[in-house]
Amino acid sequence: MTLAVSIDQLQCRKGSFRLGPLSLEVAAGARVAIVGPSGSGKTTLLRCLAGLQTPDSGTIKIGETVVDDGTTRLAPAHRHLGMVFQDGALWPHMSALKHLRFAAPNLAKKDALALLERGGILSQATKKPGAMSGGEAQRLGLLRALAPSPSVLLLDEPLRSVDVHQRDGLVLLLRNLCDERNITSILVTHDRDEALALADHLVVMRDGQMVEQGDSVDLLEHPKTAFTAAFLRGAACLSATANGTGKLHTFFGDFDIPIGAGNGAGTDLRLAVFPGDVTADETCDGPEAKILATTPSEGDGMRLRVACEDQILIARAHRHPNTVTTRLRLDAAPRLLPWQLNQSTNSESNPQS
Amino acid sequence: MAKHNERLSRLPLWLALGFLSLFVIVPLAVLIYETFASPDGFTLDAWRALADDENAKAQLLASLRLGLAATAISAVLGAGHAWLTVAKDLPGRSWLGPLGIAPLVIPPIFMAMGISDLVMDVGGFWPCALLLGVAHAPFVAVLTTRGLRTVDGRAYESALLLRGRGTADRWLLRMITPEIVAGCLLAFLFTVADHGVPEFLTVKGKTWHTYAEGIFSRWTRRAVGTTHADLQSPIVAALPFLAALGCMLWAALRLRAKSPDRGVVRPLPVQRLGRMRWPALLLPIAYLGAGVVVPLFVLTRWVLGSAQQNVPMSIDYARESFKKAMDQGLPDLLHSLYLALGVATLVVLLAIPLARQSARRWPMLDLLTALPAAMPAILLGIALIRTFNKNPGIGWTNYDFYAGWGFAVCGYAARFLPFAALTLASHVRRQSIAAEEAGRFVHRSASARAMQLHVLPLMPAAWSAFVLAFVLALRELDLAVMLPAANATAVRRLANAVHFQHEDWSGVIALMLLSFAVLLPLLPSLLFGRKLSSLS
Repeated sequence: MTLAVSIDQLQCRKGSFRLGPLSLEVAAGARVAIVGPSGSGKTTLLRCLAGLQTPDSGTIKIGETVVDDGTTRLAPAHRHLGMVFQDGALWPHMSALKHLRFAAPNLAKKDALALLERGGILSQATKKPGAMSGGEAQRLGLLRALAPSPSVLLLDEPLRSVDVHQRDGLVLLLRNLCDERNITSILVTHDRDEALALADHLVVMRDGQMVEQGDSVDLLEHPKTAFTAAFLRGAACLSATANGTGKLHTFFGDFDIPIGAGNGAGTDLRLAVFPGDVTADETCDGPEAKILATTPSEGDGMRLRVACEDQILIARAHRHPNTVTTRLRLDAAPRLLPWQLNQSTNSESNPQS
Repeated sequence: MAKHNERLSRLPLWLALGFLSLFVIVPLAVLIYETFASPDGFTLDAWRALADDENAKAQLLASLRLGLAATAISAVLGAGHAWLTVAKDLPGRSWLGPLGIAPLVIPPIFMAMGISDLVMDVGGFWPCALLLGVAHAPFVAVLTTRGLRTVDGRAYESALLLRGRGTADRWLLRMITPEIVAGCLLAFLFTVADHGVPEFLTVKGKTWHTYAEGIFSRWTRRAVGTTHADLQSPIVAALPFLAALGCMLWAALRLRAKSPDRGVVRPLPVQRLGRMRWPALLLPIAYLGAGVVVPLFVLTRWVLGSAQQNVPMSIDYARESFKKAMDQGLPDLLHSLYLALGVATLVVLLAIPLARQSARRWPMLDLLTALPAAMPAILLGIALIRTFNKNPGIGWTNYDFYAGWGFAVCGYAARFLPFAALTLASHVRRQSIAAEEAGRFVHRSASARAMQLHVLPLMPAAWSAFVLAFVLALRELDLAVMLPAANATAVRRLANAVHFQHEDWSGVIALMLLSFAVLLPLLPSLLFGRKLSSLS
């Protein structure tokens, strides 16, 4: 496997925040998304990679070139990277055409115009960013990053400032341009949908550490941590405490301690309840919960939002409930997962809450 | 090669810092050193003498009183003008608003001439305070306007809905108080540092003296003084003054920084003045009348021959005045113009790298750059003279340099650099850091990147700074009195010419000077149709 980017034992301190140490390898041509809640360190990681921020230690390689190892430190312009910023970060005094030709000194005018046409903003060639819509400005930001033909494209929440109706067009353009040019892309976002639309491989981060990474489908279906389940699937992560009898006590009853978790003490385990895992049934003998809202579901029946502990849980119901509370039945097998793999037990940054 | 380019792109910053050191820091250090130096070595005698000087205390008190009174007038006129033209439905507010800065174009000495021409034997404390209050009200007007434009109208409307008009207005006043106070501090600084106007009014019978006047009179006595104490006394007297003004300037800058531009906000709703709509016009009329119309009216009367006792006013006399002005005042006018253009160009070239550095890397540089604003022009002049006239052996300087146009340009530039640097720095702070970071990915030389991405976006603000420096240089009197090459500027000559009954051609030169000062800011509007707005 040819690597486009490799990061080894990277550490970066910024005030009281500490990123890493973390290591990451990105294959050439891969589409990677680094996801996590605000303050998880994903943007710091991207900025270190871009050369906009200086890491304290560690090594960064782009392709075969060491771009940062403490002694060597290449400027952003010499790293063969392109970067798309979240608000476009366009140069307000330059036209769209001038943007591309300034960003890529060797780009001929006709090639720049062709690129603008490919990006669907040829009609904006002579216009300045102030005269463009949010979507057009972000397209220009993308084309500017691609104009010098970088080997790796860094994307810092590129869809954040784009109108929801223009997002699909931009997603398609981004994916097509990266595929055509065989560009490796690394996206940073806290938006799950944006990550799934633009990447095949996800890296989940929290508190400056990598929680887990993997193929996006695998990670969605079989998250190894409750944090990932909550962040990517919107799972409610309910408390699970060892009661000294070899069982874990949860909102839905007592369950066996999973293999590998010892006696359950000292491991921050949670019961991850995915949307649809629970059915609201007033006739069952399950725990009672307060109904917050009721909406029709796509098939038959209803979707209820119910309060469990300090979480909101999505439950199915066959009919509209006539009461303010309901009883819940867990239909799926209980998923008892560690909050995160390195067992840091800070639950304050629960992505669902 | 890349490192060489990187170094080359930093050259303007090092040149600007070098200039700041040579024309501000070194002269100030020379002054401080001289207060402790005597032929016998270190001494505190000069400081003791100042502490025992009752006259200096009286002058300090007079300056303080004058500063407070003038600043109160500036606050009422400037803040009132801004409030009425931005937040209220005053008739003609769209063109009255930008005119709030107009009195800054008129040299205070012209206002003094105007008032003393209309009202005989004027020379007391209150006329002086009124005059300086009007002259420096634009600082309050401009900063209050800036404050009002950056308040989010939605937040004001929320307060209005929740608690009613009175509470909402009090909330609004609290929001813009830092800007008003910063403007008042600047007005106070300029008032107490002004030497020309109180000195001009002395001739008309004033019996009290300000501290700035005291410094200057000590300086002129120094010319005939023989003891070391005579030489030291003006400098010693000035330094505590400078320290106090420096503290005030620091406070003004801090207040200004506390109320940064809040990005894109909804403008404040324009409120109805109701039956006070037309009467409210009295304030801008009084402000602009005293600050602009009276001086222009008096100057025009002079041109028509009002000051000549045996000649009735007429157009024919105006022609005569014009001819005399061309014969006797044209070289001074041209000298002023060349000097102001040179100063404005140099100031902008120096201010751009300094502003970028202070906005992005060294915020403390703001204070260093702003230091000359706290120095009364008289003191800066003394400092420059003590450094460059006494020590011509700095290497490349000699008397020709000291007495030349270039030195005057540098001296003026040192004085006006703070205004340009602060204007540009606040513009740099408003620019997107991400857009600059995007430029770091561009494979071009550091100097090409700096020119395209740092300098070009600053051009509109650089033009404002250029105009400000040009206008301030045209109207400067205090420094013109001190620096040999600036002695021949039009304002300096006019201040003297009036004493010698040359009002007729002086009026012509003054009006021409003002027309240049007005024409330059209007150029973008005339040529490119740019919207007229104040320099806020």
